Amino acid sequence: MKGLSLALLSAAVAFCGGFALLHLANADSSAELARFGKAYATVRADYVDDPGDQALVEGAISGMLGKLDPHSSYFDPRTFAAMQVKTEGQYGGLGLVISLDDSLIRVVQPIDDTPASRAGIKAGDHILSIDGKQVTGLKLDDVQDKLRGPAGTKVVLSIMREGTKDPFDVTLTRQIIAVEAVTHKREGDVGYIKIPAFNEHTDAGVKSAVEALQKQIGPHLKGYILDLRDDGGGLLDQAIAVSDEFLDGGEIVSVRGRRPSDTQRYDAQAGDIAKGKPIIILVNGGTASASEIVAGALQDHKRARVEGSVTFGKGSVQTVVPLNDGKDGALHMTTARYYTPSGRSIQTTGIIPDVAVADSSTDEAAFESLIGREANLPGHLAAEGPEVKSDVASVIRPDPKKTYDDFQLSYALGLLGSPQAVRVEREPPPDPDRTDNQSN
Amino acid sequence: MKRYALVGAGALAGFAGAMMLFPAVYGASDMNTYRRLDVFSDAFELVRANYVRPVEDKELINNAIEGMVSSLDPHSSYMDAKAFADMQIQTKGEFGGLGLEVTMEDGLVKVISPIDDTPAAKAGLKTGDFIAAIDQTPIQGMELDDAIAKMRGPQGSKVSLTILRPGSKKPFDVTLTRAIVHVDSVKYHKEGDVGYVRISAFNERTASGLEKAVKDLRQEIGGNLKGYVIDLRNDPGGLLDQAIAVSGDFLNGGEVVSTRGRHSDDTQRYTAKSGGDITGGKPVIVLINGGTASASEIVAGALQDHNRAKIVGMTSFGKGSVQTIIPLGEGGGALRLTTARYFTPSGHSIQAQGIIPDYAVAQPDDDDSATKLLRESEANLPGHLLGENAKKAKQTIIHAPAGKKYDDFQLAYALDLLHGGKMIASIKSAQAN
Repeated sequence: MKGLSLALLSAAVAFCGGFALLHLANADSSAELARFGKAYATVRADYVDDPGDQALVEGAISGMLGKLDPHSSYFDPRTFAAMQVKTEGQYGGLGLVISLDDSLIRVVQPIDDTPASRAGIKAGDHILSIDGKQVTGLKLDDVQDKLRGPAGTKVVLSIMREGTKDPFDVTLTRQIIAVEAVTHKREGDVGYIKIPAFNEHTDAGVKSAVEALQKQIGPHLKGYILDLRDDGGGLLDQAIAVSDEFLDGGEIVSVRGRRPSDTQRYDAQAGDIAKGKPIIILVNGGTASASEIVAGALQDHKRARVEGSVTFGKGSVQTVVPLNDGKDGALHMTTARYYTPSGRSIQTTGIIPDVAVADSSTDEAAFESLIGREANLPGHLAAEGPEVKSDVASVIRPDPKKTYDDFQLSYALGLLGSPQAVRVEREPPPDPDRTDNQSN
Repeated sequence: MKRYALVGAGALAGFAGAMMLFPAVYGASDMNTYRRLDVFSDAFELVRANYVRPVEDKELINNAIEGMVSSLDPHSSYMDAKAFADMQIQTKGEFGGLGLEVTMEDGLVKVISPIDDTPAAKAGLKTGDFIAAIDQTPIQGMELDDAIAKMRGPQGSKVSLTILRPGSKKPFDVTLTRAIVHVDSVKYHKEGDVGYVRISAFNERTASGLEKAVKDLRQEIGGNLKGYVIDLRNDPGGLLDQAIAVSGDFLNGGEVVSTRGRHSDDTQRYTAKSGGDITGGKPVIVLINGGTASASEIVAGALQDHNRAKIVGMTSFGKGSVQTIIPLGEGGGALRLTTARYFTPSGHSIQAQGIIPDYAVAQPDDDDSATKLLRESEANLPGHLLGENAKKAKQTIIHAPAGKKYDDFQLAYALDLLHGGKMIASIKSAQAN
């Protein structure tokens, strides 16, 4: 008898112990998860309709990711399935050139042979909403950002067209816009190179542009202008390769994640295809991501001077993390940020031009962070690198009474000491605080 | 030895028992829920581990709950612990407002209706206007409560709204001066031998205001009184109990409205007091339009279903849902969740369909979207639910005849109905030709 009761006693103790252990183990994975569980259970029980378990959790994951930053999101299983896996992480677009028309977004033109043109979008159309969210009143760069996205994903635009009574919806699938090739042009004895995007052909395009210009212009070549305005970015490896073309060594960019062990650094190899000639990089609010890497690298190494307005400030890497092999969708989450060689986070500050030059359409806000004071980094980032000092004393603006084809370009040509092409109406003002220390 | 063996065996048995019973106790027997929560917690752990910067668990879960709830409908939302505490201590009447009833649509704030005599009404804001920005800050990304909070402020202070009006090509800015919005919700006067009563909102004094109006009009007009026109156009609603009292003032008992939730035992029915008709059975016409919402729709629906009044005008807004505040426990904040919908006595959902007029009459300046009687969402209803509404919706909309200028065609139509409908007959025959 005594033995049996002992056995029963130990059984009881073990039972309670086991229960307690499991309870603790669950409580450990966060009181917060329990709080979510409670909210979830309440909605399931009390909402006026049956919400559907899947929809609820998808809404929850979507909300959780979406509030992290503008580039983090959740791809539900249907969207994830539709994405082309091999272009995962690459940014595609629709082939739309847009402009601001009062607060309305107007299509300047759809590029030939792109999702936009194939969908029948026309010059003059107004975009009212993107994926159900109205875009009126937003800044142009923010709208561009919403139009772009991983290749293969869908987007619904609500279009208002002159002559058509009601707005209508158009569904498009984003694509890598292949039309965005590097172009070049001789501007007197300056080589002008326009880089509209960073795709698989960009580095090769830059190399052949430099080669061609060197041939065309010859030994009198004064320097190069790399135009990265409205270049929304693209492939990291192309940005590194292009930066490398002009640098003889040193770090180009570092990609830093959550843990110090995640840091990746990319260095330049010997060789400068521009043979030390001065370079001016043109930037504006539409210059983003890969373009900011190039501008930041060349700026920090003083290999180029950056002219224009503050860039977009999109220097982060998103990783796609499938859930349950994609059956439950995937997280599209920011996992790292780009840092320039001097340690500035592109995401936080963008690239600040050495020479602030406005376009005729650039607004005041584009220069707000610059004039007369140091650009302040938010407190918690102070440890992230040297304080960004802006020694921009003033913003150079075009004369409102004159018309210019491209004032920023004309000013850059002036900085390189090039006699002006005919289309410039007047000489840009001399900049007394600067000596052109890049001429040889 | 034997003793130790027994103890060991007992312990083993006990432990094994705990392992087996644990899932049952914690309800994991509902496999689908368990799996769904599993998916969520996987996502949660991945973000915790890999997001570029550390984020507090609390922030992640707040955003998750918010995302889950706001995906349901524009009036459902989540208040974190702080917001919930703020809501509970908020003092009424201390702030100035604009007099706008709003909802959220397509990421923007949509005007349900401006209330009579408020800054919003005086500034010319209209039902269906979208507010794209407040003081140049875009609404995109804001929750409805945040937008409403931004529109409020010290009395006398100014605020600028960027408005998108359907039919207008470009957005435009309107500057308003905030005021303490005291709404005198009932106004009335005689229109010949008809008593006209305008109800602009349903607040604490509406039912008593209506009773006084009817009494005074009876006295003023006397024995020749032909009937009443109750104008609920652009009345965005208000208090449920006032809507029931006002309906009761025209009915002799019967159901006014029911609220139905998820489970059949959640249903609540509200009845009119018997012997309640203060008009002595005189004919009543109710005017409605796209700005008629909520409490106003309850009144129109009740009177229509009891055949107590004819409804003239354009289909109402369709806002008939009840939100309940559900606290989530210590420090957990609270849900504001849509838990029920209003149904008219005949059983149709105000939220889904609005109130469809018996006589569809348009004002001269009603734009094309207002002339749709049956909303798009109804086209998706299964056939057997369309029924009565589809028949009504097939009726032609009556417009003012060209050539004659009417200040208020809908009112003219209503008055004519009360006088035997001669004008209407001539319009109909003219339109038939």
